Amino acid sequence: MNVLLKSRGLNKSFVLGKDNVQRVLKDVDLQIRRGEFVSVMGPSGSGKSTLLYTISGMDRMTSGSVKLDGSELADLSEEALSDLRLTDMGFVFQHIHLLKNLSIFDNVVLPGYLARNGGRKAVNQRATALMEKVGIDELADNDVTQASGGQLQRVGICRALINNPSIVFGDEPTGALNSKAAGEIMDLLADINRSGTTILLVTHNVKVAARTERVLFMLDGRIVAERRLGAYVGNGREGSRREEALSAWLLEQGF
Amino acid sequence: MVAVVVFAFVVLSALLVASGSNLIMELSGALDALFEASRAPHFVQMHAGEIDRTEIDEWAAANEMVEEQQTMEMVTVDGSALYVGSAETPETNTIMDVSFVSQNPQFDFLLDLDNQVIEVAPGEVAVPIYYRERDGLRLGDTIRVADGGFDRSFRVAAFVRDAQMNPAIVHSKRFLVHEKDLSALHEHFAETEYLIEFRLRDPGQAGAFGEAYASSGLPKKGTSVDRNLFMTLNGLSDGIVAGVVIVLSLLLMVIAILCLRFTILATMEEDVKEIGVMKAIGVGRRDIGRIYLTKYVVIGVVGSTAGYLASLYLNPLLSANVMLYMGQAHKGILGWAVPMLAAGGMGLMVVISCAIILRRLRQITAVEALHSGDLRRPAGHLQVLSLRNSGPFGVNVFLGLRDVLQRYRLFGLLCFVFLFCAFVIIVPVHFLTTIQSPSFISYMGIGQSDMRIDLRQSDDMAQRFERLLAYVESDPDVDKYSPLVTAQFTMVGDDGAEETLSIQTGDFSIFPLDYVEGKAPELRNEMALSSLNAREMDKGVGHRLVLIVDGQKREMRVSGIYQDVTNGGRTAKAVLPYDPEKVLWRAVSLDVTEGSSIDAKVQEYAETFHPARVTDLEGYLSQTLGNTIAQLRKVTVVAVGVGLCVAALITSLFLTMLISKDSSQIAIMRSMGFSLRDIRVQYLSRALLLLGLGIALGTVFSNTLGQRLVSSLWALMGASQIRFVIDPIRAYVLLPSFLMLAVSLTTLLSIRGIKETNIAEMIVE
Repeated sequence: MNVLLKSRGLNKSFVLGKDNVQRVLKDVDLQIRRGEFVSVMGPSGSGKSTLLYTISGMDRMTSGSVKLDGSELADLSEEALSDLRLTDMGFVFQHIHLLKNLSIFDNVVLPGYLARNGGRKAVNQRATALMEKVGIDELADNDVTQASGGQLQRVGICRALINNPSIVFGDEPTGALNSKAAGEIMDLLADINRSGTTILLVTHNVKVAARTERVLFMLDGRIVAERRLGAYVGNGREGSRREEALSAWLLEQGF
Repeated sequence: MVAVVVFAFVVLSALLVASGSNLIMELSGALDALFEASRAPHFVQMHAGEIDRTEIDEWAAANEMVEEQQTMEMVTVDGSALYVGSAETPETNTIMDVSFVSQNPQFDFLLDLDNQVIEVAPGEVAVPIYYRERDGLRLGDTIRVADGGFDRSFRVAAFVRDAQMNPAIVHSKRFLVHEKDLSALHEHFAETEYLIEFRLRDPGQAGAFGEAYASSGLPKKGTSVDRNLFMTLNGLSDGIVAGVVIVLSLLLMVIAILCLRFTILATMEEDVKEIGVMKAIGVGRRDIGRIYLTKYVVIGVVGSTAGYLASLYLNPLLSANVMLYMGQAHKGILGWAVPMLAAGGMGLMVVISCAIILRRLRQITAVEALHSGDLRRPAGHLQVLSLRNSGPFGVNVFLGLRDVLQRYRLFGLLCFVFLFCAFVIIVPVHFLTTIQSPSFISYMGIGQSDMRIDLRQSDDMAQRFERLLAYVESDPDVDKYSPLVTAQFTMVGDDGAEETLSIQTGDFSIFPLDYVEGKAPELRNEMALSSLNAREMDKGVGHRLVLIVDGQKREMRVSGIYQDVTNGGRTAKAVLPYDPEKVLWRAVSLDVTEGSSIDAKVQEYAETFHPARVTDLEGYLSQTLGNTIAQLRKVTVVAVGVGLCVAALITSLFLTMLISKDSSQIAIMRSMGFSLRDIRVQYLSRALLLLGLGIALGTVFSNTLGQRLVSSLWALMGASQIRFVIDPIRAYVLLPSFLMLAVSLTTLLSIRGIKETNIAEMIVE
């Protein structure tokens, strides 16, 4: 089994005041295989986003272990963690979080330039190709204020992919989009996954989770259940059937 | 943090404005007190030569303007006969004219440090404060006068406050001894000078009285001065210090208000949602404003009070010079009230500016505030500055520079502060370099020469001068020389009134002088005027004035105007035959040949032509301006310190706020993989770009506006067009490096906070 990301006994607590420590993640064990498409679901406050930010090294764990491709995140310095995020990880957020003062193209190439990944010319070519692929190449010179929510999320995805990361993390990537745009984004993510990139999403949305291969259910800081849905091929009513099955399972979990 | 910085600025500017205004109050009070206690004369005519006291008394008695008259005899002692303190060498090369006098009976008293009229016993001497400051003399030290067979030591019994001759810029100093000692000195040193002094019924009539005296035929072999000039000379250096301190405090206040504006707007931006909620639930604009205003009213009131209280400690330091030279005046209600009101005014300015800025609250509607959460307009996209076209710049440097150009309104504040700091640092440094440079001599009405030999008034001065010229002529080490004779001439005004004018005659092409306008006099009907003389006579180049030369009226044309801070700034130059009876000074300027030692030459001439005053250029400058240079050096150190501190303080304030404002963008970059180092480079690039811009503009302003500012201060002394001599290493390399170091360190320290930025928290928000 080719494991890309693995956590063991992962704990994360927030100190809210004297004698007031909130344990948000409790001994979380998790394994994501290379090329897998996984989603994490759970009610608000269950610790989904905290899990995402802790295993991606954006937030320091309180205790436990997280290994990405064999590297123990707890042992890495801030600089090394930044470098890892730059070259091996991609992030897609609900609120997209583009840099307001840069053009759309510049937002996409920025991590590429910073990583000096094959020279600026190569980065430009890769950005153009990615933008063509997701259908936003005509917006290249626009401001971020001159694009729709769906278009901006595509920009976010291009940015996440510019350095060919081994894993892309998504925090409610369709949360701020209408259902049509959300569907398109999920198609895109599925495409990306098919080309070999591992994806881990956090979502509330059954439609989104139903498109992933495996769904983890979190409650009170622990992964309490798991459901394998298998690869999504998109035939006929497959989508609806997966959604129904997932909804029924979630109901069983008390969601 | 921000509140602390604004508070610090209010305290600082209140402190400076209170101290500055206190200094002005002390200065004017102390001047009045000194002039009153010493009963300073309103008009003084110096005269070297014989006098007929009865003639003067009769004339004074007949003149209705005169209230009192006295004639003071001064025994001139050459520097080569004077040993100050424990010095083993005499004051041979001094530029001071040293005279020994006894206390006046009626007015023009020489006072001690308690402003009491000094009475010295035989064997005692009261020494001008100038020497106490210069040599650290103490009571009980010795002043020795030794010349040929004469040798007498005096015990220093007091220090003299001399309303007429206090400042170093006045080249005459009076030592007070007992009448018996004065007679003894007189017997040996035959050379005397008289001060024919008048107190007038109406001191405002000094000008008219001067004219009356000039046309009276009474002795006037020497310059005449009036009370206004004494006042100006006494008050000048401290007046300038006070002016500079007040200007500085106002500039600091401007910075404080700019910071305040920035702070309040940034806070409002952060709180805009809360403001929206408050407006939505019906809280009035006034009440919301009050929430913000209260804090700054407290800062204004407490800050200005603290500044005022701190000024009570700073005042003795600033006014130490005034206290020493002029004494302490009784402080009236105004003396307390003015600094207090000035400090209070600073606090009030904070509150008023705050109220004006808060008017912006009116422009935000509840819905807008709730929805937008951002008061900023979109920054606008700069196509040209796309990352693709960033050329050789690294990503981080480019992002930093680009941000400065995009948010130029925001960054303008910091740039202005850097400009201010560069200006505050560079102007004094430029001026210090200028005043220390040998070319400063051209502001003293003298052409640049290696050395200068001055002969003082004496009966055999003409013969001594002839001998000197013959010696110079045959000296193989002398490259070129120029004899200069200053004599008195009578000038006839447009209204026919006669006035005495001291004119230097000679060939002014040998050691040329820089002329502000026109050129040196070459023809026999041409003359040049010092700028103060030109201003007072209301004459410009090409204008005519009438002199009496060889008993004949001669119309002279003003050929040029030059700067001169010596002799109260009132001098003139012409190529004219002079009346030997009316000669005041004779001097020779000379250049030695290459390879000859100037020091050795100075020594040789000093010995050969004793008691001539022989100085090299540097000696002349340092003795005349030494005190000013020392003061200016202190001011420069303070200015450099203030400039660096303000730059560091504001950088720190600004960046702390900027980091908080930019926290979400920083979090985004961090999430993408920008390291802390990358972010640091971005902020450092911003700060250094702004600093570079600030320094460049500051330098331009210093070299133009700063030069004009210094000139306008020095115009009071006779140098109206000072051109900065610039030391490029100091001004363009060292000082900018200091600023860069201060700003870079502060930047790195101020943005330490980015380490604490919780990316996850920011991103989720």
